[in-house]
Amino acid sequence: MRRNRPGRHPFGLATITWLYILWSLVPVLVAMRISFNSGKSRSAFQSLSWRWYFTDPAKSVLHDDTLVQPLKNSLKLAALSMLITTPIGVTMAIGLQRWRGRLSKASNALMLFPLVTPEIVMGVALFLVFTQVYTGVPRGFTTQLLGHITFSISYVVIIVRGRLAAIGPQYEEAARDLGANRLQAMRLVLLPLLGPAIFASVMVVFAGSIDDFVISSFLSTGASSETVPMKIYAGGRATATPALNALATIMLVFTLVAVGLAALVMRRMRARQGGGEDAQLGSLAAVG
Amino acid sequence: MANAAGAAPGGHRNGFWGALSLPGVAWLLALFVVPFYAIAAVAFGQVDPILRTAAPVWGPWSWNFSAMSKVISRVFGGDLAGVVVRTLSYVGVSLALCCLIGYPVAYYVARHASRWRGVLLAALVLPFWISYLMRMLAWVNLLQVDGYFNRLLGWLHVGGSRNWLDGNWPTVVIGLVYGYIPFFILPLYAALERLDKRLIEAGRDLGASPRRVFQRVTLPLSVPGLMSASVITVLPMFGDYYTNTFLSSGSPKTEMMGNQIERYLRGTSQPQTGASLVLILSAMLLVLMTYYLVVTVRAQRAVAT
Amino acid sequence: MDTRFTRRQVFGGSARLGLALACGVPLLQACGSSGSSSKKQTVSIKDGVKPEAGPLRILNYDSYVGPDIISAFEAKYGIKVEITTFTTDDEAITKLASGAVDVDLHHSAGTSTLYKLIDAGLIQPLNKSYLTNIGNVSSSLRDPYYDKGAVYTVPYTVFGTGIGFRADKVDPKSVSWETLWNPTYKGVTSILDDVREGLAMAMMRKGLTDVNTTHPAVIKQAGADLGQLTNLMNIKVEIEGYHTIPEGATTVAHTWSGDMLTAVGYLPEGTGDEVLGYWQPDPAVINNDVMCVLTKAKNPVLAHLYVNFLLDKTNAQTNFKYVGYQPAIEGLGAQELIAAGLVPAHLSSCVMSNDQIAKGYRYLQLTPDVDALWNDAWSKFRAGG
Repeated sequence: MRRNRPGRHPFGLATITWLYILWSLVPVLVAMRISFNSGKSRSAFQSLSWRWYFTDPAKSVLHDDTLVQPLKNSLKLAALSMLITTPIGVTMAIGLQRWRGRLSKASNALMLFPLVTPEIVMGVALFLVFTQVYTGVPRGFTTQLLGHITFSISYVVIIVRGRLAAIGPQYEEAARDLGANRLQAMRLVLLPLLGPAIFASVMVVFAGSIDDFVISSFLSTGASSETVPMKIYAGGRATATPALNALATIMLVFTLVAVGLAALVMRRMRARQGGGEDAQLGSLAAVG
Repeated sequence: MANAAGAAPGGHRNGFWGALSLPGVAWLLALFVVPFYAIAAVAFGQVDPILRTAAPVWGPWSWNFSAMSKVISRVFGGDLAGVVVRTLSYVGVSLALCCLIGYPVAYYVARHASRWRGVLLAALVLPFWISYLMRMLAWVNLLQVDGYFNRLLGWLHVGGSRNWLDGNWPTVVIGLVYGYIPFFILPLYAALERLDKRLIEAGRDLGASPRRVFQRVTLPLSVPGLMSASVITVLPMFGDYYTNTFLSSGSPKTEMMGNQIERYLRGTSQPQTGASLVLILSAMLLVLMTYYLVVTVRAQRAVAT
Repeated sequence: MDTRFTRRQVFGGSARLGLALACGVPLLQACGSSGSSSKKQTVSIKDGVKPEAGPLRILNYDSYVGPDIISAFEAKYGIKVEITTFTTDDEAITKLASGAVDVDLHHSAGTSTLYKLIDAGLIQPLNKSYLTNIGNVSSSLRDPYYDKGAVYTVPYTVFGTGIGFRADKVDPKSVSWETLWNPTYKGVTSILDDVREGLAMAMMRKGLTDVNTTHPAVIKQAGADLGQLTNLMNIKVEIEGYHTIPEGATTVAHTWSGDMLTAVGYLPEGTGDEVLGYWQPDPAVINNDVMCVLTKAKNPVLAHLYVNFLLDKTNAQTNFKYVGYQPAIEGLGAQELIAAGLVPAHLSSCVMSNDQIAKGYRYLQLTPDVDALWNDAWSKFRAGG
């Protein structure tokens, strides 16, 4: 009496699920398709063309400075965010994982709060602090970068700590037994083991920064610090051409490449070292 | 092994680990804690007499609570009551829709989808990585007067000339659900996936119908997951202003708290009002935020030990 | 995702954060700030300085300067121009004051709030030696009431406030302020996102012409009248009429006179400009936007040269063809623009005659208390009642 009765397949549930997935993706696909419209309209599709990407001499993404600038800004912000956030986040993760005591617990709480703080609250807070307190910091790109790093640190810590917990202290202890000092053990043993998690969090920071709208918008000082999401927000309601959709599509490709890489690395990490799929999924979810 | 988390090898080295955490902690103190304090300093501060911009007061001993008390009286019974009630109802309806759509989806993918599971999971994760604003832009493209949605209605002969973007609450709610439902489904999926299958099988073996097993076993067991999924979905919704502005052409009819905050702080000469609203919003959400942190950490703790 | 944590720890942690915060206070106090009221002195730039390398950073409304003008200026001085946009005058001031935008030139400041920019020292006196075309400024605005002696500003455009509409959907003869309250046009009506314009419009509908009223009851009533629009009309509050009307999303819009000429450029192919109409009361509210150079400008010379560039008659006319707002240039008045064939006959009401300009109502500066009354009424409306 094997109890695993397959039972009826729940077709109702299956239908809802597939419909949901269609609903979640089709609008985006439509928006991407519009970017290939040869006409000017963002609703009536005429024929396929690269007009809004390259060929239009004035209004394509390639030739319109007001579209290239946000693209550059977004990529620069994302790249610098990940370069600066990662070392801060990784050391913080290692430290918090092992540091004991009251201050450590307070730091833990501090690290977790940005994850659940609504963006508008953080946006307003940063906006006010840069206009009222840290007035010496050059406004615009620099403040946006500081803002992005602030909301990214916790993601790195969460992802890296998850990995640290799975690794455990034994490898390092073995290295110490073999005569390595603490820094050597960290550098030669721990960091390589953390490699995949670090890489994953780098990608997550990159994608999170590229997607951010609220913080960038509150800390922007105008055209020179406009990012792609801000451009979409401003243009989506006014007089935009399909070039806006093209810009959004280009950005989507960048993000998906980043995430694709991260997913590959995570999969390899899982295959090699085990570890919960949920934890990985959870860390991705936490970031989205 | 209770110490799986990799405890410090030797207590006297504690300072070293503290030092490693220091850059991150200092960063967050300077750019998370101090900024938050600045909100209070503005809310309880003064206003520049000419420009009517914020002139924050840093010492709590000379704080002035008149702007805050004015805002509070406007929120309770005044003209802002409508905005607060509207925000609560939009978020409430959106959450209900997230449950109605998201629970079956998460449940199906977690418990039934065997062959397609990888594909389904990827499809559930994908929206996270598509820029939020792009996803909203997609809806603007669909819902424009001459957009695909109206053309579909025209083709079905049920209208097709309506402007859906002129302050229509269902449009805003759909936008919110569309925007945030991935935040709901994934954590719920993870929770459902973790449920102890033996309990469900036991229910079946005792002769309960699948429906009854669901009602008596699965659903109660998934309540914690449902709760934290709800909280993590609702938190950003409460502060959202761009979805609304994007999908309703700045109509007063759908004005939410986030819109008011944004307008007061960036568009008008009443920064104290904006900052006070942020504090009120934060106070409203603090319970939810704390709940989420505590529950998550507790659940992880249970898994780890 | 492994973190050791309990409820007690979270609360304990937060308490300590609070303590840390309180300790930080004296430190922060030192950074404390400003807030004094006296007018800040600013000085103009010296004569004969070479233009900077740019980019020239301009703050302006969206679509409110011709792209040809910008590229012509870029070509002439070999620099780049960056335009940052804003949607309401209040927003521009708030952003300039808080440093949330950093630009060289405010392209379109409002006149009723100009005193804030001057008193706070945000804009600098212009050095007229760079403005060789200053003599082209329309004679009525050479010594304007909002900037005596034209020390800080040069007028950019002149316009009235009225209603833009679809002449193919609304009978042009029937249009008045009341049309904005006509449920036939529910869902396809918008009003300007501007506290002064919005409330003054509601007052004028009731026959009141004091658009600078200090009377609390009148202001409150105007706000309440606007409040009716929320549900009666599904009113949109935006300044997008110049493209939503030609595109068909809006039928009736509270707009500025220039918008319906701008709109011609946004008509879909195959649609003639006869579908556009504009009405305004007589006398109407007349406004002009002004250009001014920020005190903190990094490219003040370029900013001056840009202002001078727009004062050139040919450039002003080219710009008019794009923006549809008439320039404040002597010899480019309504008659001349119409005579030059730049304005479709049925839209001739979109350009203001000298007489209309002379007798138009003007928004004047309000005292902070009255300003607060206006803003409160407007906020109440914006909150959806």
